[in-house]
Amino acid sequence: MAVSTTVLGFAMALYLAVVVYLTWYGYKRTLRAEDYMVCGRRISSYVLAISYGATFISTSAIVGFGGVAGLLGMGLLWLTFLNIFVGIFIAFALFGPRTRKMGKNLGAMSFPELLGKRFNSRFIQAFSGAVIFLFMPLYAGIVIIGAARFLEVTLSVDYNLALLVFVIIIAAYVVVGGLITVMYTDAFQGTIMFVSMLILLVLTYAKLGGVTEAHQALTAMSNLVPESLSAGGMTGWTSFPVFGSPIWWTLVSTLILGVGIGVLAQPQLAVRFITARSSSSLYRAMLVGGVFIFMMTGVAFLVGALSNVYFYQNYGKIAVEMAGGNIDLIIPTYINDAMPDFFVVIFMLTLIAAAMSTLSSQFHVMGTSLGYDFYKGIVSKFRQEKTVLLTRIGIVITITVSVILAYILPISIIARATAIFFGLCAAAFLPMYIGALFWKRMTRAGAIAGLVSGTILSLFWLVFVHVKESSALGICEFLFGKPSLLSGTWQFVDPILVAFPIAFVISVVVSLLTNPPDEEHLEKCFKGV
Amino acid sequence: MLFGIEDPYVWSALVLCILSMILCAIYGALRWNYDD
Repeated sequence: MAVSTTVLGFAMALYLAVVVYLTWYGYKRTLRAEDYMVCGRRISSYVLAISYGATFISTSAIVGFGGVAGLLGMGLLWLTFLNIFVGIFIAFALFGPRTRKMGKNLGAMSFPELLGKRFNSRFIQAFSGAVIFLFMPLYAGIVIIGAARFLEVTLSVDYNLALLVFVIIIAAYVVVGGLITVMYTDAFQGTIMFVSMLILLVLTYAKLGGVTEAHQALTAMSNLVPESLSAGGMTGWTSFPVFGSPIWWTLVSTLILGVGIGVLAQPQLAVRFITARSSSSLYRAMLVGGVFIFMMTGVAFLVGALSNVYFYQNYGKIAVEMAGGNIDLIIPTYINDAMPDFFVVIFMLTLIAAAMSTLSSQFHVMGTSLGYDFYKGIVSKFRQEKTVLLTRIGIVITITVSVILAYILPISIIARATAIFFGLCAAAFLPMYIGALFWKRMTRAGAIAGLVSGTILSLFWLVFVHVKESSALGICEFLFGKPSLLSGTWQFVDPILVAFPIAFVISVVVSLLTNPPDEEHLEKCFKGV
Repeated sequence: MLFGIEDPYVWSALVLCILSMILCAIYGALRWNYDD
């Protein structure tokens, strides 16, 4: 992106000054473990809504998925619908208030601890913590790489230097200020993201002659769909792919359902509910949350698809051709070419803010899962006063692992990290999480059966069947001489559609076959729920 | 045809996005002073 380094440097300095202030603010307000882990359970609705949204939306949601919309069109808006309906409405209206109250009743300071205490099981807390700190560094790795590559290009600095400085800045404010700093910086970063995406939406439609005109121009381009994509089922940028075609399956199972439903069991998002001051602050957060998510993914998908119109009208090429075949470059190329200079600076800050807000929450939850959940689950005597120190050590260890993974793993594997982590969380945690909140008859054995079977099934499907991950990992090829054990449509079906329902059924069946949980404990869990 | 988009499978997604934002706003407003 061609923009004055001086202007960008000044904007960055201002941005970092606010982050430093919020780090100090978080540090001053952290007086006990509960402050460091769950913000003392007194976060307001605006900070909660924007922090949730900014954590949810990383740079890859804007640039990566926006690029996918540039390639495949507006069918991705179904994901935005699910992001709002499931990620905000279902999450905040149904899951949020129960999670908050149960977390308060049980004194839980993390998502794994909530599940562990609900089912009276240290194994559940330790195993859930292990799933998070073993697999989340992969997800953090891809966000780190994306941010470092972006800084390398925009600031013309060395990739390694960009990566290390970026990680050290985030690590410093997470370790020092805990979740209070994380959530307040999220709210600051999310506000920048919101304003930026609103400007992008308005400028794009203004440039293309209005909403209806822009969409009609894109519809008229359906004859320009590349041969390889139309063979896969694509019919145009404003129409859905052919039912049952490979592109249809990719769009419906992985992008729409995988990410759309997977959001409910993301530990870094679920812990947000525990931080809320009251149920009304959760409900109030919905007003901002729904619009925020639309402004992020909805705008990215609309603009990504409409970039085809801009490029065709000005250069006679479609978006993916303008980006040289790399869909991750569609949005940056469009911003640089179509938008005024002042906006290019704002958008750069937006991408940095999106990466930082997602990473800071990942770092915090990885640290708590190792230094608190896993450690607490495996030692016989846990000293509560050591919580903050152990969590800080956990954060430093897991950040180091994330950086090492970002360096040593091939990009083909790490590019699938988001899908892997979302799919794994949905299968491992969601059956147990739903049971914990909504079904008193779910037993400890049922919860453990769902957790373990969901984890194993999800990993099996990722390694041996779902061809996007199995071919990247190469284990199936090494053992059986082919990239996937199954053929045809099964290769494109996301693990969430297989592992989650099976794990859910296993949870229910095992619960019904075992003795009901203790009434007194249930009364404590569900007090006021 | 809605918003200049012909395929109902696509414009319905845009309509549902708008409706779900409105649903979130109404639900949040109705429970603005919810008492735990």
